[in-house]
Amino acid sequence: MDLLEYQVKEWFGEIGIPVLPSQRIDHPTDLKRLKIRYPIVLKSQVHAGDRAKAGGVRIVETTIDAVAAAQNIFNLPIWGELPEVVLAESKYDASQEFYLAVVLDTAICRPILLGCQEPDVDWELAGEKMQHVVVEQEFSPFYARRLALKMGLQGALMQSVSTVLEKMYQLFIQKDLDLVEINPLAINNSGEVMALNGKVRVNERAIGRHPEIAAMAAKIANYHGTNQINARFGEWDSLAMHGRIGILGNGTGSMMATCDLVASAGGKPGMCLNLRHASIIDTSPTTFGDRLVKGLNILAADKSIQVILINLLGSIPQPKAAATAIVDFVLGNKGELPSSVVRSNGNKREHLSPNLVIRLAGSELNAAKDVLAPLEAHDDGLIVVENLDEAVAAAVSLVKSPAYKKAS
Amino acid sequence: MNLTPDSKVIIQGFYEFISATHIAQMKAYGTNLVAGVDPGCGGQEIYDLPVFDLVEEVVDKFGAIDTTIICVHPYQVLDAALEAIASGISQIIIISAGVPPLDMVQLLRKAEAGETLVVGPNSPGIIVPGKILLGTQPSEFYTPGSVGIVSRSSTLTYEVAWELTKAGLGQSISVSIGSDAIVGSSFLQWLQILDEDDSTEAIVLVGQPGGGSEEAAARYITEAIDKPVVAYIAGRQAPPGKTWRQTGTLVTVVGRPPNFGTAQCKIAAFEAAEVPVAERPSLIPELLKKAML
Repeated sequence: MDLLEYQVKEWFGEIGIPVLPSQRIDHPTDLKRLKIRYPIVLKSQVHAGDRAKAGGVRIVETTIDAVAAAQNIFNLPIWGELPEVVLAESKYDASQEFYLAVVLDTAICRPILLGCQEPDVDWELAGEKMQHVVVEQEFSPFYARRLALKMGLQGALMQSVSTVLEKMYQLFIQKDLDLVEINPLAINNSGEVMALNGKVRVNERAIGRHPEIAAMAAKIANYHGTNQINARFGEWDSLAMHGRIGILGNGTGSMMATCDLVASAGGKPGMCLNLRHASIIDTSPTTFGDRLVKGLNILAADKSIQVILINLLGSIPQPKAAATAIVDFVLGNKGELPSSVVRSNGNKREHLSPNLVIRLAGSELNAAKDVLAPLEAHDDGLIVVENLDEAVAAAVSLVKSPAYKKAS
Repeated sequence: MNLTPDSKVIIQGFYEFISATHIAQMKAYGTNLVAGVDPGCGGQEIYDLPVFDLVEEVVDKFGAIDTTIICVHPYQVLDAALEAIASGISQIIIISAGVPPLDMVQLLRKAEAGETLVVGPNSPGIIVPGKILLGTQPSEFYTPGSVGIVSRSSTLTYEVAWELTKAGLGQSISVSIGSDAIVGSSFLQWLQILDEDDSTEAIVLVGQPGGGSEEAAARYITEAIDKPVVAYIAGRQAPPGKTWRQTGTLVTVVGRPPNFGTAQCKIAAFEAAEVPVAERPSLIPELLKKAML
């Protein structure tokens, strides 16, 4: 999860990374009560990049100009995203600008410090200009000095840049980040450093232990609308595919293997969800059964999905409860759709409940099979298979069957 | 590795991913489970195991412990593992999934320094079919034999084991090293263990997108492994992972290939190492039989 610039700067300020005086603007009229001095920079608070080119950054000298510019920015979507907030910030005269970052390299299982003597690096060529230092053992400030020296800095500037890196690392550890970036770090004529823009990526696995981040995450989810499937979809360990066969697996590997098999059998995989983990935004404890119900509802609400293929092998907690959840889903779908599935324009979608193909293997799942058997016998669009290849073949042929030709 | 039935085993925590069934299964398999550790529940019995508040209390009572199986809440995994290390336990299996990566970084630094073997997180553990079960692997899919399995995915480990069993190929040792982004032991460590294991004649390696451990394994197989190896990589259809930047991640900075982490990159590495790659799990037995000739 990425934070917005103004949120990043609040964190920077708290940890002691120098940031300019700034003020959060929720509405253009807020500029009448501005506490910082002109000239100011107004910046659109969106996640998308390239906002300066798109017109999301404006320098203004007076209140009248500021209100007009803010009105403009509030109404300017950048890559489809409208800002909820605009940041007003003092202007800074930089004589030099650098790039700094701390990032977790999962391939070597260590954090890395990155630095470059120019901001806005061309990432295709970054290998030549970017310096890096691997934080092998517990962090100590010498790692930061090592990077600053590799960047070619000396004396007081080397010291002040490495102090910023040290603070970035503290923030990285304290808030469980995947990335903290300052781009650019500006240096003025007297050698003072200033973080002009920053980026923070929070690790999704750790959100639950930071109540303030969990609250931010919930707000982001709400802002994007609880009815939008994409918003909910993004909270899961998942693959965003666009075919007609939705996939639920109990584990990343299983989910991906099923997706591969569907594709190689000539089918088009749709959304694939891993049921082994809870949603990263919903931090309340869940059970496998809860996640199964949610997963089924998410897939059922995707109008392009005609068949849901569930691959369960070996041990799942409470197999009987899981099977009951599937039965409830099938029976529930024969009647009215749950209200959460009704689309935002208020129209119920033309209802065609997806068929279910369930792959169950393992003696622990026998109880689940017993629960599902009566439904299967009544031909309620439910197929239970033990062999994975057969389950995939069944799902693929269901999509191709004439009954679905009329589907939207 | 102490993978014998006399090895003393404890369980730390009884969170979501372990149940009475798992524990009964381990006991039925002959695993020497001596106790559970669950802070606040000392003195009780959970799933027929005596429970203690601290690992060191178990050591005081039963002597040195060989293996701990950690099933606490993911946010308590680091603490539980550090407690186990402090009590002299050198084999740690972490079943819990979703451990914050920076906790794993810290644990790995400690484990590497003390030569502790950490399997997982997000792992169902290790099974030596017919002999010992350390974790939650469903033993019903296994049969004793000579094929070693090392995998990065839990369910795919059983998937492969079952395909082998159906094809009449038994298994010697099967381990899932865990499917989280950062895990303890590596493919290299397990290839080495399986290569040295007398009962293993051939190896199946199961990989998935992310990181570079399959590529490293492919190079290692060329250099150091004499036994036949067959690979299966899930995730051919998976779109490239969420990266820090679309155009260049750490890849360009630290000099990795542009398709780093993809299934395609891993498959190419195995092909270059002349390791047969199965297109789907059900084709593994056939490739193995050919390779074992």
